[in-house]
Amino acid sequence: MQSLFELARDAISRNWKRALLAIVSVAVFVVAWNLYSSYLDANLSGYREYVPAPAEVVEAFIDSFQTPGTTGLLMTDHIFASLKRVFLGFVLALALAVPSGLLMGRYPVAEGLGMPIVEIFRPIPPIAWIPVFSVVLGYLWGPIAIVFLGIFFPVLYNIMLGVKSVDPLLVDAAKTLGAERKHIFFKVILPFTTPYLMTGIKVGLGIGWMCIVAAEMVGAYGGGVGFYIWDTAESKLFDYAYAGIAVIAILGILTTGVASQVERRLYAWMGMK
Amino acid sequence: MDGHEVNIRTQRLFKAFRGDKKEVVALKDFALDVDEGEFVCLLGPSGCGKTTVLRIIAGLETKSDGQVVVSGEEVTGAGPNRGVVFQEFALFPWRTVKKNIEFGLEMKNLPLAEREAVSSRYIDLVNLEGFEDAHPQQLSGGMKQRVGIARALANDPAVLLMDEPFGALDAQTRNLMQKELLRIWAATKKTILFVTHSVDEAVYLADRIVVMTARPGKVKQVIPVGLPRPRDRTSAEFISIRGEVLEVLEEEFEKTMMRELSKTVVEHKT
Repeated sequence: MQSLFELARDAISRNWKRALLAIVSVAVFVVAWNLYSSYLDANLSGYREYVPAPAEVVEAFIDSFQTPGTTGLLMTDHIFASLKRVFLGFVLALALAVPSGLLMGRYPVAEGLGMPIVEIFRPIPPIAWIPVFSVVLGYLWGPIAIVFLGIFFPVLYNIMLGVKSVDPLLVDAAKTLGAERKHIFFKVILPFTTPYLMTGIKVGLGIGWMCIVAAEMVGAYGGGVGFYIWDTAESKLFDYAYAGIAVIAILGILTTGVASQVERRLYAWMGMK
Repeated sequence: MDGHEVNIRTQRLFKAFRGDKKEVVALKDFALDVDEGEFVCLLGPSGCGKTTVLRIIAGLETKSDGQVVVSGEEVTGAGPNRGVVFQEFALFPWRTVKKNIEFGLEMKNLPLAEREAVSSRYIDLVNLEGFEDAHPQQLSGGMKQRVGIARALANDPAVLLMDEPFGALDAQTRNLMQKELLRIWAATKKTILFVTHSVDEAVYLADRIVVMTARPGKVKQVIPVGLPRPRDRTSAEFISIRGEVLEVLEEEFEKTMMRELSKTVVEHKT
């Protein structure tokens, strides 16, 4: 018990140290940024607008939620527009990548047919498609298609890997317990593959956010945070552009945070660490 | 049931694996009958095909020729009338102890209440009370294999096929599990075919010990162990039977070793 107590105490003190270091790290960054901004203010006033002070960015950040911009949209509208696209692209990608990955992992013929296509398209950065998709699919579906591509391949690849990694002994055990094909699929292969799916989703979501920002910059109906950044920067409202970038950072952290939580709950429920 | 009814019958069992260049004959004319309620240990040098015999009877491996009949039915594939216990436990890591044991019952579409009644009965039998909701990763090797045994028994199979089930355990746990298995065997009266490479384990457990030849595997000799249970490993009779089995086995070990040696020499020359 003594050692358990000590362990807990160590964990808390370790976390304290980490939290303290994090605070110091962010504080140093903000102070340096502030110093640089005021240096520009004093010596190179022409460049001043490119690097607004942290306080100005915070002000712009708050204002963007309260005052509609040039497009008549609030930041919340932009956020929902982007979230909607990421969500739609994500759902479509999962709907297609999960069954394809399962098939390709399980059946060599499906793998033989699918892999060449995957190998051709996987190395292409999804943003390379932005100009084409924007024109062909329009500003409504174009950005969604880009997000789709960004999420599709990591999910497909990880699921396929998961199915191929299924321990054959577990399949044997299931067979001797009376499992038929459908049982083996739903009760052995699918649960075994879940952690691989979660890895694919986490990687895919990260790429998805990068894609949506880039795609929206080219143009998107109904705004979007990427569009907002481009629009404000073009109007030389750099404090607002930085506020938009901060929104992207926060949304990215939130999405991966939610995905990690889902993952943790799922693993706890499945008894995996 | 007069205790002499044949439960597992294999005849002219032949198995060839396709290797890189040539076919490898694993089993040749292997024949073995196991009576109902009997405990038979299959013993042989490594690579003699004893696991292959077990997997063919389990229906996890196809045979090249011959016949396997369990409880009067010809074996054509894996099925729940033959429970298998694996050396590596092969438990489902995402299922709790209870849910692992209930796996076979789920396959049978048994209602939940019935499944829970059966699983709790087998949890009691293998002494895992209190660990129903633990996951396999939280258990020691011996406890994992208790789950493995309970999971196989929950389906109420006619026979229990055990493939070196205690091979991954330390010596103390191994001895304890052997005792436990005999207790469970006495309680369930199952027919057990138990693959091992430990002479000591075979003499401690078996009614009959079937010693296999080196590859291609067939039955070399059947040695009945007439000792009453519980057996005393230090008794003169135990040691004498152990010596007898060891002697039979050693000839085959030597053959295996000679073959390995000659192969090395050939590989060396080329």
